[in-house]
Amino acid sequence: MSVSVPCKVILRRLSEYIDEEVDSETCRAIEEHCAGCAACAHLVESLRRTVGLCRATSSRPLPEEVRQKARASIERLLSRHR
Amino acid sequence: MTKSEELHLSSRDESRSAEYVGLVRAAALGDRDAMERLLMRAQEVAFRFSVLVCGHTEDAEDVMQEALLKTYQYVDRIRDPEAFRTWLYRTVRNACLMKRRRKHGEPARHVSMDYGDGGEPLDVADPARGPDALALNGWLGERLRLALLSLPPSLRIVIVLREIEGLSTREASTVVGISEDNVKTRLHRARGLLRKQLEDV
Repeated sequence: MSVSVPCKVILRRLSEYIDEEVDSETCRAIEEHCAGCAACAHLVESLRRTVGLCRATSSRPLPEEVRQKARASIERLLSRHR
Repeated sequence: MTKSEELHLSSRDESRSAEYVGLVRAAALGDRDAMERLLMRAQEVAFRFSVLVCGHTEDAEDVMQEALLKTYQYVDRIRDPEAFRTWLYRTVRNACLMKRRRKHGEPARHVSMDYGDGGEPLDVADPARGPDALALNGWLGERLRLALLSLPPSLRIVIVLREIEGLSTREASTVVGISEDNVKTRLHRARGLLRKQLEDV
């Protein structure tokens, strides 16, 4: 792959590229392509930000009210089966 | 994103699964703290799944109760700690489905939820409505929540399981009932659609 390779060929592999599931040759080819193609380079970055935003969400605690209810449910359940 | 952040993300799936296995084993041996943490995790999963995948905030409490009780029973009859995580997501998914079936007077706007090969459809409510929308927006961010809920259901479940819940491709394929290749294909499409929705964020 190179800049002359159509972007759509690159686009098909971007998700795997972000997940580091492409072989080193494909990885290098994508990076070379992106070095000469601003549109694909932008796409990679915005895709990474999207994935990063989702993953950052996973570590957020639940709303406090929901957590309190969940705790109360656990206490009730465990006290019944003590 | 730095290299160390990328490494952290790539090892995230494995470490989460291992954490679940450790909690299940400890809880089965009578570790109360482990049991409490596991039950909290089960309810957290149920809440996020109800809100982000099913889109029915009003069902979340009942689905959380179901996850709580079934997890407690699972630990009591433990057979395979490794299978707990996928079992939990399937249990929560089924609880959402059953809850919808029992309910009368459904909201007017629904779309069908495709769970893949042999899976059963779920209905999804209008994500922007409902009294809890404001509180949820504070929790997750309105743009991301609505962007996720705008995705076709068959793509949404995959991106939530993979990116937010941190399941591996294999685990997601077990929960959804599709092949690993199909999970990858759907994830690729879901990421692309979500990126477009969030482009100006």
